[in-house]
Amino acid sequence: MKLQRMRIEQLRQFRKSFVLDNLQSGLNLIHGPNESGKSTLVRAIRAAFFERYRSTAVDDLRPWGDSAAAPTIELDFEHDNCIWRLTKSFLQRKRCDLVVGTESYSEDDAEEKLAELLGYQYPKRGASKAEHWGIPGLLWVEQGTGQDIEQAIEHAGDHLKSALNSMVGEVASSGGDDLIETVRSQRDTLLTGTGKPRGDYLKLEKDRTQYQLEIEELKERVHKYQEQVDRLGKLARDYEQAEAERPWEDAQRHLEEARARYQKVERLEQEQNQEKATFAQQQQNHRLLQQNKEHLEGLSRQLESRKAVLDRAEHDLDLAQAQTPAVTGRLTEARTAYEHAEKQRKLAGLLQTRQRLEQDLRRLEQQQQVISQNLTKAREYQQQLEQARQQARENRIESELVKKLRATGSQLNEETIRSQTIATRLNWQLDADALLSLNNEPLVGQGEQQLLEESTLVIPGVGTLGITPGGEELASTRRKLKALEENLAEQLMTLGVESLKQAEDRLSAFESAERAVKHAEDLFKTVAPAGIEQLVYEQSEAESELEKARKQLESTPKPDSNETVPTLEEAEAAFNQSGAALDKAESDERAHQSRLSALKQARDNAKTEWQRLADEEKSPERQQQLRQITTDLANLEKQQAELEASLERREREIREARPEFLKQDIERYQNAVNQLRQTQENRGRELRDIKVRLEAWGAEGLEEQLNEKEAELDQCSRRYEELHRRAQALDLLLNLLTEKRQALTRRLQAPLQKHLNHYLSVLFPEASLEVDEQLRPGTFSRGSELGQITELSFGAREQMGLISRLAYADLLREAGRPTLVILDDTLVHSDSERLEDMKRILFDAASRHQILLLTCHPEKWQDLGVPPVDIEASKGQGILE
Amino acid sequence: MPKFLHTADWQMGRAFTRFETEDGAALVEARFEAVETLAKLANEHHCDAVLVAGDVFDAQTVSDRTIRRVFNATKAFAGPWVMLPGNHDAALAESVWTRAQRLGAVPENVHLALQPGVINLEPERLSILCAPLTQRHTYGDLTEPFSGYETPEGFTRIGLAHGSIQGLLPDEIDSTNPIAPKRAEASRLDYLALGDWHGTKQIDERTWYSGTPEPERFRNNEAGNALIVDVSEPGATPSVTRLPTGRYQWHQFRETLAVQSDLEQLLERLNDLPESAVVDLRLEGSVTLAGEEALLKALSVAEARFRSLRCERSGLQLAPTEEDIAALKADGYVGEVVESLHDRQEGAQDDTARDALAILAGLLREREQEAGQ
Repeated sequence: MKLQRMRIEQLRQFRKSFVLDNLQSGLNLIHGPNESGKSTLVRAIRAAFFERYRSTAVDDLRPWGDSAAAPTIELDFEHDNCIWRLTKSFLQRKRCDLVVGTESYSEDDAEEKLAELLGYQYPKRGASKAEHWGIPGLLWVEQGTGQDIEQAIEHAGDHLKSALNSMVGEVASSGGDDLIETVRSQRDTLLTGTGKPRGDYLKLEKDRTQYQLEIEELKERVHKYQEQVDRLGKLARDYEQAEAERPWEDAQRHLEEARARYQKVERLEQEQNQEKATFAQQQQNHRLLQQNKEHLEGLSRQLESRKAVLDRAEHDLDLAQAQTPAVTGRLTEARTAYEHAEKQRKLAGLLQTRQRLEQDLRRLEQQQQVISQNLTKAREYQQQLEQARQQARENRIESELVKKLRATGSQLNEETIRSQTIATRLNWQLDADALLSLNNEPLVGQGEQQLLEESTLVIPGVGTLGITPGGEELASTRRKLKALEENLAEQLMTLGVESLKQAEDRLSAFESAERAVKHAEDLFKTVAPAGIEQLVYEQSEAESELEKARKQLESTPKPDSNETVPTLEEAEAAFNQSGAALDKAESDERAHQSRLSALKQARDNAKTEWQRLADEEKSPERQQQLRQITTDLANLEKQQAELEASLERREREIREARPEFLKQDIERYQNAVNQLRQTQENRGRELRDIKVRLEAWGAEGLEEQLNEKEAELDQCSRRYEELHRRAQALDLLLNLLTEKRQALTRRLQAPLQKHLNHYLSVLFPEASLEVDEQLRPGTFSRGSELGQITELSFGAREQMGLISRLAYADLLREAGRPTLVILDDTLVHSDSERLEDMKRILFDAASRHQILLLTCHPEKWQDLGVPPVDIEASKGQGILE
Repeated sequence: MPKFLHTADWQMGRAFTRFETEDGAALVEARFEAVETLAKLANEHHCDAVLVAGDVFDAQTVSDRTIRRVFNATKAFAGPWVMLPGNHDAALAESVWTRAQRLGAVPENVHLALQPGVINLEPERLSILCAPLTQRHTYGDLTEPFSGYETPEGFTRIGLAHGSIQGLLPDEIDSTNPIAPKRAEASRLDYLALGDWHGTKQIDERTWYSGTPEPERFRNNEAGNALIVDVSEPGATPSVTRLPTGRYQWHQFRETLAVQSDLEQLLERLNDLPESAVVDLRLEGSVTLAGEEALLKALSVAEARFRSLRCERSGLQLAPTEEDIAALKADGYVGEVVESLHDRQEGAQDDTARDALAILAGLLREREQEAGQ
């Protein structure tokens, strides 16, 4: 199929006529910027084929705002050596005309012819959608859908197969896939995916089981009913027979006979028992007589033994009496020892008391002495204290004042010394008889004086010498000195002393007195901490205690110094020991006494006993008794023999009557009577029960129910069987159809694969792309890479999509079908290298198919080697035309 | 000059399997109507009595309603009815009869022969010698004692029994409840009324099976009658008249279809049957797809016309002809499937393949019809 020319008018932006002419049989590159009408051209081609001319759903074709428009498309193409001209108008002028060679078609006929040629469908109503596009949907790639190959192949579906029929030899079927779907949906109402019953089929299967169960149950009940009927018949017969024969009466008769026989035996047994009792009494009597006899005969023997007993008792007594002195002796000894020990213990106690008293006395005396000494000392110390205090009182002087005085004195000294240094010194060495007086004071011998004031030296015979000390300071020194002297004098007066030395002395005396007071006080405290009065009291106390101790000691007797007295502990131990010894001796003696008296008693008893027997043995009554007993015994033995014989006879009689069997017979007959009556009663009861039961069951009409149930089961089974067969048949049919269809697909696979490989080798030399059973490109492998096409990148998917479509186009061409390839702005996602390969592929494909390539990027395709068609330019031509 | 109606094997309480529910109910209803018909005929023919030779009831435990309806159906004839227990309704210790008595359903004029012996119908001067079954199965001849039964002077001696005449019915040689072939003669009977065989059948001039009054199976095509027996005097040969009583006729066709005309003949035969027919078809052989279409259409028409029509076609193979396949436009792989199914059907007698082929043909026809519209 080769599109040669197209013209559109009143269609979207092409309000005026637009013609695309001179289309090449191979590659056609049509370009124009956005909005230039590229997509409108594609839409026009699609509308011309896919949309019904009378469709009302093509408003998008109308130029904007032009309600009177009749969008018109005119297409000229060549196919199969024929020229086809299609003219289609929509909306305001709905028309379709097709001229093929010399034949004309119009309206629906024209559209059907086109659909058949290209392999697509029209929508039942409304706008044409992807699912109607069939083969063109696969070959005419809309902008941005190049990668979506799977959808397109599915929609091409049957068209593809029927188109490819010629290639694979008439194996594809028209509408075969619809048929498969119908069969599948019918099968699926009966069977699940895994072939299990479902829906009505399943329900019938269950119902059938249910019916079978119910029927089994009913059958069981009918069977039971029949059993009961049979049982009823048998019981009724048995009951009547028993009523006629009355077997329990026979048994009753036997029972009574057995009872009579048994009563007889019972009487015999009573007699036997009585006689046995008599026999037992006689035996008892015999035994007593025998005992009496033995007793009497045994008296002499007893006497001897009694004598022996008496002898032994006497012997024992003698032995015991012989021991008496020894026992008594031991007792006396123990008593003496005890008394001695007791005395010793007392003495030791006394001695210890005295020693303690003496000790106390010594201690008290010592104590008293200490107190007296302390008292003497205390008094002495007190006196000393008083003296020291007196001393202190007398010499009391303020030490501060003395200190001051001392300072004044030393100051005065210093001043004096200073004055002396500045004073006029007068030495003298006088002859013994020289009489000189200085300031009216005689000077003798040798000496020196310092003169501070104007002085007068009188030398007898010579006259008077006035001496005036020089120096300026002398006056102030003299004043100071005077002031100091006055100060000193004043202080001395205050202190009441005449000189500093005296003051010093007094201070020293005072301080020593203070120390003496302190010392005396300390001493006093050591001997009389609580004062003298306390000491005096203590002394008197000690004295009275001493007195008391002395008196006690005097009153305590003095032990004999000759006697050796043990210590108290030893004495105590000895005393305890001798006490224990005495206790034992005393108890021994008591035991001995009681034994003696017991032995005496025994001896006396033995003697009495012996005496009594000795007396009895000799009595005449005893001889008489013995004779009587012997006679009685003989009589008794004879009677016993008779009785024994009688007993034995009767025993045999009883044994022969077999009382245990008689007893069993009674029981047996009794049971038989009971059981026979009971059986008959039971029969009667069971008869009534069964009748009642059968009446109830009979009323249910079991067999009729069963009949009906069986009819229902039969019907259910028939319906089930029908559905079962239908399910099997549908399953088989579906399998066969699918199988055959797959076989067909496989036959188509190979040529498609061949074409696909042809293109793929250009794009990816090492790669392969498998075609699946739906004839879709599926598994893609390249080296070690393996995956589905859907996992590839968008660009690669688009490339794969395109080569798949081209492969389909090749396949269709081989089948003699028209192949127009329209690519609207395709491969925009390919890189330049890949695009280069794709160009080679497109160029190659264009040698077999007409390809319309619409793009807004003409520069990308300029090396395709075909002249590009510029829409804008063509528009101009259109206007010119 | 006693005259009586002889019937047997009513089998009341039977339900019909292998029928649609509605058809089964109608067949049950027809049996009650048959009893009413009997009563009417007895009146019309001035019968002295109606003798029922066993199997009044199909089972011991039928519903109370069925029991009551059976006796109600006898109402129209006020003369004496003598009913004999058969093998289905034997006079056991507890039986459908004792239940009927307890229910008070048995009218005065209906005599139940629950004990072996003679029932003398004084006004009618009829002695009915009864051999009821008192056990489910008997291996001895219960009519043996008939010879010993004394009957009043001048009374007609009628034997009433249920069982198989020995040696006459090859199918039932070993059957239970045997009856000696010369019983009527041996026991000086004027007539021996028998039940158990569902078709009307004469054994000798005095011995008859009346058959069931309403057919209930496809065998025994002599079913659906009652007998009017007229004995002019004791010892005279009875005159026996057969009266149709059945409402429905049961037909069973077993046909093997080979050529087109076989089918045409079959359809013609079907066409000729009355509307009261109960039909059972079993078809074998093979038929073309066009033939099958014609058959299905005819069956559909017949189904609506007859009381019941059942057709077993699993033995009938589908043999699509080239024309068939062309007509169905079964091209491409669908055509291959048709072929494959056809082969399988022929080769392995595969029912599933046959059904599958039928379904496929149906679907294709539908598609063609749709396309045609």
